[in-house]
Amino acid sequence: MAVDPLLQGLVVGFAAEAQEVCQKVTMDLLDLERGGLDTEALNKAYVRLGRHLHTLKGSAASLGLQDLSEIAHKLEDALAPLRASVQQMPRAVVDILLHGLDIFMLRVHAHADGRGDSLPDYTAALAQLVAEAPPPEQATAPSPTPAPATPTPAPAAAPTPATGLGFGAHPTMEAPRDESHAGADADGAGWRVSARQVTTLMREVERLREVRLRTEERSRELDRVVTLLARQGLLAETAEARTLLSGVGRAMRSDGEETADIVDALEEGLKAITTRPVRTILEPLQRMVRDLSRQLGKEARLSVVGAEVSLDRRLLEKLNGALVHLLRNAVDHGLESPTERERAGKHHEGALTLRIEQQGNLLFLESSDDGRGIDVARVRQVAESRSLVPTEELARMNDNQIRDLIFRPSFSTRADVTDTSGRGVGLDAVRAAVEALQGRIEVASTLGQGTRFMLTLPVELGSSPVLVVRVLDQMMGLPMLAVEATQLTRMNSLRIARRRAQLEYKGQLLPVVDLGSRLGLRAAHMPNEGQPLMVISAGGKRVALEVDAVVGDRDLVIRPLPAEVRDVPSYQGAATLSRGELMLILRPSWLVSDPAPAASLTPQSRRALVVDDSLTARALHRAMLEAGGFTVHLASTGARALERLLADTYDVVICDLEMEEMDGDEFIRKVRERPETRELPIILVSTHETGRERGRAAGADAFLSKRECASGRLLAVVLDVMSRGGGRA
Amino acid sequence: MKVTPRTLDEAQEDELRVLLERRAERLRELEQTEANREEAVHWVAEFPLGEERYALPLETLRAALPLRMVTPVPLSAPHVIGVLRFQGQVLAALSLASLLGGHGWRQDPAVLLVVERGDGELCAVDCEAIPRPLGLPVGAVEAARARDEGPILEVFSDQQLVHLIDPPRLFTRAGAGARHGR
Repeated sequence: MAVDPLLQGLVVGFAAEAQEVCQKVTMDLLDLERGGLDTEALNKAYVRLGRHLHTLKGSAASLGLQDLSEIAHKLEDALAPLRASVQQMPRAVVDILLHGLDIFMLRVHAHADGRGDSLPDYTAALAQLVAEAPPPEQATAPSPTPAPATPTPAPAAAPTPATGLGFGAHPTMEAPRDESHAGADADGAGWRVSARQVTTLMREVERLREVRLRTEERSRELDRVVTLLARQGLLAETAEARTLLSGVGRAMRSDGEETADIVDALEEGLKAITTRPVRTILEPLQRMVRDLSRQLGKEARLSVVGAEVSLDRRLLEKLNGALVHLLRNAVDHGLESPTERERAGKHHEGALTLRIEQQGNLLFLESSDDGRGIDVARVRQVAESRSLVPTEELARMNDNQIRDLIFRPSFSTRADVTDTSGRGVGLDAVRAAVEALQGRIEVASTLGQGTRFMLTLPVELGSSPVLVVRVLDQMMGLPMLAVEATQLTRMNSLRIARRRAQLEYKGQLLPVVDLGSRLGLRAAHMPNEGQPLMVISAGGKRVALEVDAVVGDRDLVIRPLPAEVRDVPSYQGAATLSRGELMLILRPSWLVSDPAPAASLTPQSRRALVVDDSLTARALHRAMLEAGGFTVHLASTGARALERLLADTYDVVICDLEMEEMDGDEFIRKVRERPETRELPIILVSTHETGRERGRAAGADAFLSKRECASGRLLAVVLDVMSRGGGRA
Repeated sequence: MKVTPRTLDEAQEDELRVLLERRAERLRELEQTEANREEAVHWVAEFPLGEERYALPLETLRAALPLRMVTPVPLSAPHVIGVLRFQGQVLAALSLASLLGGHGWRQDPAVLLVVERGDGELCAVDCEAIPRPLGLPVGAVEAARARDEGPILEVFSDQQLVHLIDPPRLFTRAGAGARHGR
């Protein structure tokens, strides 16, 4: 049968609307089923349900979709007795209404796909629905047992407005609960754009932000020019130029401010287009938890914290599958039966919690249950019996590592395969989905008390407050949410034992962590009197972080790091500072974690200081020396290197000859002046062969041209010089 | 047999035809050679690294930038110089000499080349000078590709050795944190 394209378009639009209305009906039904609502709330819920079902009926009839209209009518009939007496809704009625909604939506999608003609006759399903419905007198009773009902003839549905409720046939006439997101897609007046187009726009906005930063920089340069001109004397010849330049400077500042406003507006607009609140995906999850727990004879309640957080729509869609897996897993494996729970002293209804929180460019998603927890011994046994890990390796694994085996493909503690589990497909799929989004997943569990899955994912949109600090030459950002307090070091508030400092803070002793040494920029360092200390809190842990200076707070857009550095656990992203340079944003959970015992931190390891004003040369020397087992610290100028030598001890120094502020021979002279460093081995490097003589004259222990610095050669010279205990070349 | 002598006009016409045919043949050959020459060239961006000549396929090169505004990333892999902004994106700047397993250099790199990694992403590598465009014979490149399995193809051109970098091979391995030799 030929389909009128206009009508088909309307049906597609109706499908989207019906989906939203059905989601709202489902949420109301689940609320009603849980009980605990007072009369007023019950009344409101019934009124809402009635409106929604009537809306569905009227809209379907107006499009000539008689089957849908009649189904909605039957659902209204099932609801009617309860609405009249305003009572708790029995489970049997909830079941029927949910089942009816499923049939309704299946047929809606078929109509929208143009498969309406091939649908089976709905009257059978309708008859079954009616047959399962309890009669009005039973429906109003609290008994959960469904009883057969006398079928009532289905009246012809028509888009008639309901009496006294003041709403019409068109769904858009009623006020949706989620107004900000309901209309745009449904009214057919929007555009369909590809993700690539939106991503391109985002990049353009970021470029515009860079243009603004450059404009600000030009404006500052202009100010400097005006100041310079003023220093030349207030000559009449330059007065006009100065006035003109001052005017241009003001105009540029004004343009910069306007551009900043545009950037903010564009970003807000893009955010509104590309994100939606997490609550919009919760209805199917609530429904799934309810249905699965019923199927398995369990009781479960899903609570959500942070449903209002708005996320990238693509991310949300991809996360949906992972959340389904996690919640199914929690109901199936985590929660005990009501009897078991009561025996264990727990509430008969299991508690599932989803917690969603966004901090800067990181999304934290936690799914937890108060069930039986992961039995590590059982996991170990299964891993052994299925040869998932070699026996020797298994023996070496600690509890956390054993627990992580549940993410392995084909892992299942179930011996049999059921509808819901046993195939070992689930958590590995969750991990794959999370890793595909450049995120990570961790699990924590206590036997008998429950399990917690923690997902950390990068998100691209939104700015967040950041505290900018300095350590040596480098600026670093700290997400303000993690900064609990800032204070200056008072030596009398520190407890120092075995070369470790602790800060007394609110009755607790917090370990003092030197950011510079944690980042491998310098050796471990005790804070000095007056040095800034920041109390960092993450995941229930706290540390006092020692930095060299606090620069100030900024509201910054944090960007994800490129693939090459994404796995460095210290950072969660990078943000652009006002002059256009990038600043790394530290990851609070890394700051509070215990530093891994690395070979480089052992006192036996050899330490080298590389002094070079070329970033690439420093990187190359570092790579070569680290490959030889050295701990390497870097300095970009001779002055910085002298500071490092005052604070730390080194076994060897590799120094560039030609540097801007202080060249290599001057640096060597200054090092040789101090008795403590007079014998320190120094190797001079240069791009010019002619530096060899200069190096010898300055007192270097060896000289290498940079073209000789190929792998192995530098290391050989370093080791040779060290073995000679200095000994000038 | 009676032979009818050719007239002068006829003889001239024949010679003219032969002459024109020869010219046409030469032009066809020339055209063919030119076409072959054009087809046979693989354009690369060639630059020095220490004493050797390296090159990147020109189609993978997105920009050449002065090496500045690079933020070092402490605790990153040794071949990572830092991160920088490029057209609204955050890119990693990598040391080519380090990626190639340790390499001497004649002058401190002052240029960054923004390159397509081969997986849809961009990254930047350092080099000592702004590269120059160079055509390498396709045959030589193909032969090197068949011979070398690593990320560097040794291509001989005009009696000189050019180390042609294969970005997907080089950066895929770098992403996995492996060190590279030739």
